[in-house]
Amino acid sequence: MVRWGMVIDLKRCISCHSCTVACKAEHHTPPGVFWAKVVRVESGKYPTVIRQAIPLLCMNCKEPECEKVCPTGATKKRPDGIVTVDPKQCVGCRYCAVACPYGARSFTKEWRDYFTGEKKPSSAYAERARKKWLEESDKGVVSKCTFCVERIEKGRQPACVEACPCEARTFGDLDDPESEVSQLIKKRRGMQLHPEYGTDASVYYLPAR
Amino acid sequence: MGVIEYEDFKPGPRAQMEWGFGGRRRWRDGALLMALFLGGIGAGQFVISTWAIKSVDSALVGVLIVGIGKTVAHLVYLGQPKRFYRLFLRPRTSWVSRGLIFMVVFLVFALAYLAPDIGFGWVPWTSGSTLGQAIWAAAVLSAALVMVYDGFVLASCKSITSWNTALMPPLFFTYAIAGGVAMTYLTMTITGGEILNQTTLTDLDVILLGTMLALLVIYIVNMAASTSTAKEALRRLIATRLAISFIGLAIVAGLMVPLALTYLHELKIEGAVASILLATSSLLELAGDLSVRHSILRAGLHTPVFSEGL
Repeated sequence: MVRWGMVIDLKRCISCHSCTVACKAEHHTPPGVFWAKVVRVESGKYPTVIRQAIPLLCMNCKEPECEKVCPTGATKKRPDGIVTVDPKQCVGCRYCAVACPYGARSFTKEWRDYFTGEKKPSSAYAERARKKWLEESDKGVVSKCTFCVERIEKGRQPACVEACPCEARTFGDLDDPESEVSQLIKKRRGMQLHPEYGTDASVYYLPAR
Repeated sequence: MGVIEYEDFKPGPRAQMEWGFGGRRRWRDGALLMALFLGGIGAGQFVISTWAIKSVDSALVGVLIVGIGKTVAHLVYLGQPKRFYRLFLRPRTSWVSRGLIFMVVFLVFALAYLAPDIGFGWVPWTSGSTLGQAIWAAAVLSAALVMVYDGFVLASCKSITSWNTALMPPLFFTYAIAGGVAMTYLTMTITGGEILNQTTLTDLDVILLGTMLALLVIYIVNMAASTSTAKEALRRLIATRLAISFIGLAIVAGLMVPLALTYLHELKIEGAVASILLATSSLLELAGDLSVRHSILRAGLHTPVFSEGL
């Protein structure tokens, strides 16, 4: 069985935020909602200080905390490992958003226009964005990255993977030992974030050093 | 207008921004705090009123606080309140589902127990009958679960180290019982009812206040000896504006002052002065109860998503 996963090469990421913008363009997420983001971390001490860009998204965990705590059953794990939220079943209690160790979930009270901040769309483009968002999610519910499940079903790559100019992201089947993602994890010693929580994240990071 | 929340892009410990109020949280998110608070004190009041002083009026107030106050607060908080019934669907894995089921079970048994005394004399039991006592036992057990479940909800969040501790359930349970004692005393004072076993009530209150103080001290020491995220949560509790709520209201006004007032009351002060002292102590205890829950929610910090060396 396929288990979709992503490998992010931290050596290649230049923090250009193309992934963030591509995700926004693909899903029309409202202001304040970031399914794909890049966080910058500084570590070390002079003279060996390192500034590192770390792209973050939903880890689509094999053992997702969000699915366990969801009281409604809105959060589900598909057989291919992708964790989804059914906006028609979510009640907006936000237990999942609090329980997620990766801060990958966003609650949207209302859709708002990016430029005016109003609930009414200010342009034809904003109206299309609102419609697309309400098709994909809903007001008063929690949403998250699904590895662009609608694109995967059409045989395409997630939007952030396609948009990355440095090819820092690789997407594929973690269960296939011959896949590019599995090979990268093996050769470059890919790491998951917070393995101690037992979530078995489907996003691996290749170390920068 | 939606804004980029600094917390979203923060490399260090990240504050949970969904539960409680204050900071950049929406005001309606505070309704969850009220739901936890009202659920605790209402269930506590029912237990204390039926067990220690046998007051139907006070017990009914406790049931109404849970049935109306907690329910309304939950509905105000939810993003999609019309789908509230879905909250009951996953008791196998979710503490929120379990807690709300405990709440419904408590309301059913508590109202059934009080029914003969509140105008439903046709029911085939009385509060003193064997069946009535069995119903009471079920109501008290479910009330205890209502009092403790919110502690489990917080403790189940693995990445928030200041919540992910075995101290959460006993802390919330003790505060709920103490809140119940305070509410019982205030209800009886307002309705002018005579308090049977007042000494038992004040003795119980002193024990509870002492226990709460001990639990808070253990909680603080535990955080100080824990991860850097827990230490940062502790710093926020004692060295930022949150200290007004945690140290000022929860510890000093909510624990120390009531302990002193209850001690003064024990020094054979009688009549109106004694009543005023106990009423003041009860009000402060309730303020402390709300403040400690608020402080714990606000100090909920997620462990940084990544560690050094990636």
